[in-house]
Amino acid sequence: MLGNLIQQTVNALTIGSIYALIALGYTMVYGVLRMINFAHGEMFMLGAYVAFLVLSVLVGDVGMAGAIALTVAFLVAIFLVGFIGVGIERVAYKPLRNSTRLAPMLSSLGVSLSLVTGIQILAGPQPVAFPSFFPVVRYEVMGGTITSMQIGILVAAFVLMFGLYFLVNRSRIGIIVRAVSESRPTAQLLGINVNGAISMVFFVGPLLGAAGGILYASYYGIMSPSMGAVIGLKAFTAAILGGIGSIPGAMLGAFILAFVEVGGTALLPIVTHGVLGTEYRDVLTFAILILVLLVRPAGILGEAVSEESIVYKREF
Amino acid sequence: MRKFTATLLLGASLFAGPAMAEQTTIGLSAPLSGPQAYFGTTWHNGFKLYIDKLNAEGGVNGVTIAYEQEDDKADPREGTLVAQKFCDNAQVVLGLVNFNSGVAQSTLPIYEDCSLPTMTFGSNPSLTKQGYKFMVRPVANDLAGALLPAEYALGKLGAKTALIVNDKQVFGQGISEIFAKNLQDGGGKVLDTIAVAPSDVDFAAVLAQIKPKKPDVIYLGAVMPQLALFAKQMHEQGITATLIVPDGGYTPDFIKQAGEPNVQGALVAIQVPPMDASPAIADFAKLYKAKYGEDAGPYSIYGYVQGQILEQVLKTTKGLTREDINAALHAVKVKTAVGELEFDDTGELKVAPSYLYKVEGSAFQLVGSK
Repeated sequence: MLGNLIQQTVNALTIGSIYALIALGYTMVYGVLRMINFAHGEMFMLGAYVAFLVLSVLVGDVGMAGAIALTVAFLVAIFLVGFIGVGIERVAYKPLRNSTRLAPMLSSLGVSLSLVTGIQILAGPQPVAFPSFFPVVRYEVMGGTITSMQIGILVAAFVLMFGLYFLVNRSRIGIIVRAVSESRPTAQLLGINVNGAISMVFFVGPLLGAAGGILYASYYGIMSPSMGAVIGLKAFTAAILGGIGSIPGAMLGAFILAFVEVGGTALLPIVTHGVLGTEYRDVLTFAILILVLLVRPAGILGEAVSEESIVYKREF
Repeated sequence: MRKFTATLLLGASLFAGPAMAEQTTIGLSAPLSGPQAYFGTTWHNGFKLYIDKLNAEGGVNGVTIAYEQEDDKADPREGTLVAQKFCDNAQVVLGLVNFNSGVAQSTLPIYEDCSLPTMTFGSNPSLTKQGYKFMVRPVANDLAGALLPAEYALGKLGAKTALIVNDKQVFGQGISEIFAKNLQDGGGKVLDTIAVAPSDVDFAAVLAQIKPKKPDVIYLGAVMPQLALFAKQMHEQGITATLIVPDGGYTPDFIKQAGEPNVQGALVAIQVPPMDASPAIADFAKLYKAKYGEDAGPYSIYGYVQGQILEQVLKTTKGLTREDINAALHAVKVKTAVGELEFDDTGELKVAPSYLYKVEGSAFQLVGSK
């Protein structure tokens, strides 16, 4: 029983940390632009594909040793996807920044479809086996099984999240991003480079998303062009649950979602004496989301309706 | 225009007799993109291989065969669009349709309405029990497909307990229920049945619940890539039960995506004989490789067999209308590469072969057949 508890906790933490990495991208973009970036799930997918490409070049053509090649491929892929994110913002969102609020969202839907279709054409629509980034060793902890892969994912995700925390709360760049997020016109009046701050957000968000994608693909051993859709929706849900626009909220929401999902799978059949099976997991998850939003419409850590969102409401 | 050609063709068949060069069209529908594309394309390739050979020899009784290939994406919504397209095309007299039971479930009523005979590939037993007059199934249904693995688990593996996991789809749930029933009839015990969502990739939580139950075998009624994902995670969590999966696992991708060490000993049940089972099958495998430059896919042999059935149908049919073809199809009795085939009143095969393979290294070894 204890072993099972430990194991399910680790399962939830693993999937939760991947959700969190992606949810951060949604929430940061919303924070500065009040826009939902539907193409963000595709950054997650691109991360896996770019890493796979870099890795096959490094190992196949350059002949680099395994462990170094993996580290290099991971870093190259996340930075590359970060730059792709900045490029997408420049081309698809920036020209629409002063039009209606719906325009950039539709644009992001278009970007999302183009990226999925593009990868389908280039790499084929079928799922591809993905190499493991960590050697898989099993540890038995009081009857529960934990793999080195899960530990690796947890460590990598927490390092990245702490990195983000320091970047946002302790660095000058972070101050600028927070200022823009608080009020874009005021920040601009104070001489802050608003475009730079937005580019920064579109660099860091996709970078974290890509890292999530690589960890995810290497955890499950598989990647496909459509992998961003389902997981992107889950991460988006996590961001809403935690309060969209709030960075700690996205992390909290991601872990709550993961624990509810795992708990639902584990406990639903037991609690209901087999009436509701594990397939009702998503029903439970979204029922909880609806309940939370009924009580706290802005999400768990979201700020209450601000003056700015009232202005936006009037625009519709 | 279409009507005009149709009248022309009808006129030709009325006045010219069978010696005149005629053409008939077969509609092909299967997943040609997405995770199951490998199954769909290689199945159709087997059929095309035989048809191209027939056409090169001048057709059957002077009738050459054309085909129209469509992608149903393993999705009932796409499948029904394709079905409507074939129905509306008067040239199409026979459908070689729908790899997936779930898709066939929604397209068969459409084919029935426009009297278009089909050779349906979906293996869910209920498909032939709905009174369709225009369908036959030239492949073993899941009743046969899930009997062999249950017998093998009880007999050869000495298994006493099983745990069933399915993806709640027409095929996955259907076949796993049949497996469970066969196992219980043979004296085995089903510890629990767990349903997962068809798009799930994370089975860690489910597996953690399965582990303390310590089943001897786990039957997974699902399709790719879930089969590979489940096998991999099952091994990583240290579950040593024998995994049994249906036909979807009979692809090199199953071993590659799960990782070779993670699927050793897993059992795959499928209606396809090994490619060296008989001289006829070995010949087919050679022809296939020569034409497409790769080994035959899991169901290519059945595409080829369906070509052989079609040849016999065209030899015996009274005319080239949908009704005539349907009558000839139901009455057909033909020696094919997988043995002599004929259909009963419901369109089901009278004798349907099924086989069981075990993953050893990076290959599938035959361990049983029925």
